[in-house]
Amino acid sequence: MSRSRWIFAMVAALVAGTACSDNPTSGSSRAGTLTLRLTTPHADDGAMTFQVSGPPIDSATVANASIRLFTRRESGSTVIGAVVGALDNGAVATLHVPDVGAAARYTTTVLEVADRQDALRASLAGYALTVAP
Amino acid sequence: MRISILVLLAVVGATPGLAQTPIVDESEPNDNVRTADSVALGDQARGVVNPAGDVDTWFVDLPAGQFLSVDVDAAQVGSPLDATLELIAPDGTTSLAFNDDFDGFDSRISYRVPQSGRYYVVIRAFGATGGPGLTYAINFGKVTCPVVGSEQEPNDTPGTAAQVAIGDSGSGEICPHDDNPAGDVDYWALTVRAGTTIELDVDAAALGLFVDPVIALYARDGTTQLAFNDDEDGADSRLQYSIITTGTYYATVADAAGSGNPFPYTLHVRSITPGPGDPITVRAQGLGRPWGLAVGNTGDLFVSDLTGNRVVRVSGQGVVTTFATGIPTPQGLAFDAFGNLLVASTDGAVYRVTPQGQVTRFITAGIPLWIAVAPDGRIWLTDLSDRSLRRYSSTGQFEARFDAIGVGGSGPGPLAIAPSGEPYFSQGTEIWKLANGELLRVVRGAFIIWAFAFDVAGNIYAPAPAAGRIQLFDATGAIVADTFAIGPDAPQAVAFGRDATGATVARLFATDPRVGRVFEVNPAGVAHPGQPVGYVAPRFPLDVAAASLLGGGGLSAADLQYLDALGNHNGRYDVGDLQAYLRTVGGLPGARSNR
Repeated sequence: MSRSRWIFAMVAALVAGTACSDNPTSGSSRAGTLTLRLTTPHADDGAMTFQVSGPPIDSATVANASIRLFTRRESGSTVIGAVVGALDNGAVATLHVPDVGAAARYTTTVLEVADRQDALRASLAGYALTVAP
Repeated sequence: MRISILVLLAVVGATPGLAQTPIVDESEPNDNVRTADSVALGDQARGVVNPAGDVDTWFVDLPAGQFLSVDVDAAQVGSPLDATLELIAPDGTTSLAFNDDFDGFDSRISYRVPQSGRYYVVIRAFGATGGPGLTYAINFGKVTCPVVGSEQEPNDTPGTAAQVAIGDSGSGEICPHDDNPAGDVDYWALTVRAGTTIELDVDAAALGLFVDPVIALYARDGTTQLAFNDDEDGADSRLQYSIITTGTYYATVADAAGSGNPFPYTLHVRSITPGPGDPITVRAQGLGRPWGLAVGNTGDLFVSDLTGNRVVRVSGQGVVTTFATGIPTPQGLAFDAFGNLLVASTDGAVYRVTPQGQVTRFITAGIPLWIAVAPDGRIWLTDLSDRSLRRYSSTGQFEARFDAIGVGGSGPGPLAIAPSGEPYFSQGTEIWKLANGELLRVVRGAFIIWAFAFDVAGNIYAPAPAAGRIQLFDATGAIVADTFAIGPDAPQAVAFGRDATGATVARLFATDPRVGRVFEVNPAGVAHPGQPVGYVAPRFPLDVAAASLLGGGGLSAADLQYLDALGNHNGRYDVGDLQAYLRTVGGLPGARSNR
């Protein structure tokens, strides 16, 4: 790439970034964080494994200090995680993503849930995970 | 009641003994005490159990203290009747004695009546059958201690003992009489070769009698008691003993109650074949009553000694030193997650003994009997006060109680943690486990089982003190070896040894309280190392445990089994098990480690 073309590209990127800030529907990406939220029918969940697929995820951190999070990147588009702690309805993890605008394209699956006495839930009915800003 | 007909035997001479026996034929209906037929001592009653379900009732008036013998002759003389016999008190309802089969299918009752009155004898056909051919005779007599079976009175001393050979059975009668109202003792002499383990087995209650025989074995001098048993088989008794020196030994059969009630019995004398755990080797002796057993992480044995209310330490060289004192009636032992020795005491507490031997009261409970520490450091104990299984945190905080009354027996008693992580306990002749909150029977044994131990394959080594042997069951409760070892006199608690690094090895030790010793079974017969006992330190980082759950591998099958045992032991490693592991190693946010 020639110097002039590189400068052009940078300028174009800046313009695009500005446009994105002003107009989220423009289709350009913006890095940021999304929140992984849990909906649970129980009040004594102690641990859960889950899967998030879709656009890239750079990293994940716990949503609060009462939870411990472990993740493993299964592929470029899938992350498997485990959260252990006093789980409740609400945020369980923060996802650092290159494009917060792609939140709707993430799909999630609750894989396993255990109560706080280590017993595995026989049914996952009523459980849901969402990814949203 | 109808008056029965007294018939004198018409034929005299050919059988002069019978000729003098008055015969009384039944008179139907005689189905209950109100219509019973009358007989007297010395009479022979005759009748037929016909039709099906027929009941014949007889009465006899007796003075207080009278010894009564009621003896059926039916199957022995060709009748198809399988009789049952019952003795009813003067109130007409209270059952005093019952017998089904004594002489083959024929029944017999011997009884000393406590008070004067009218006593009733009821004869039926087993299974409520009946028919015109089911004839019987009942001989109503006094107990006069005649020749009964293969014994002959007087035989109350070694010098008058009846002979019985190994492999044979002797039959006799505990037959007190007016000169010996406190109770008869029958001596039997048996010649045994060195190296033989004999079993003496008395059947009396098993014959359907309400009696309680005891058995003892005496040395060649006829006075030194070598072994004793009461109630190994229900009310009946059985013992085993390994003979070291060839000679004539003496067995005695007597009445535990000393009530003066006569009863017939059968004595079986058997030779028991040694098992893979034989011969045993004595590792320590001269103890009082060694009871519970735990093995320290350097291989030393720790033994609760009921004599002296102490815990002793037995080194690998067999040196015995007192480790802790002042613990009343010490029972089960286990090491906690911090290296302290926990001692269950039936005075209502679990005591904690530091490695330096300092004793403090740790857990207060009703009557704690046995104790075990799970791999996660949690403490389990059995409490006889309310017949429960209880779980405590590693620091002694009460967590849960599980009612064990429903399992029957006399437990819960001795306790151990299986490779699955589930607590198992004995309730007497059975071993049960607690699985997912439910109690399930695993072993149904023939003898009382005391403090058992698991090997890594899940096999159960179960001492049967009264039977004088150790049995081996597999993880499903099926017998693998019975006997596994017959060398012990009365093994009480078994535990696997550990090497200098704390690893459990394929060596099995046991306490033997009746003779005050600790022994080791033949290690060549121990197929697997013992299941690690107590708290197991984590063997891998948290991240590895988590990554393995999330599909990253990194853990062995044994590791996964360990993690499952820590958690919900449902047969696979899951997120509940990861949670348990985090809790164990202090990895839960805001949680304390169990270490």
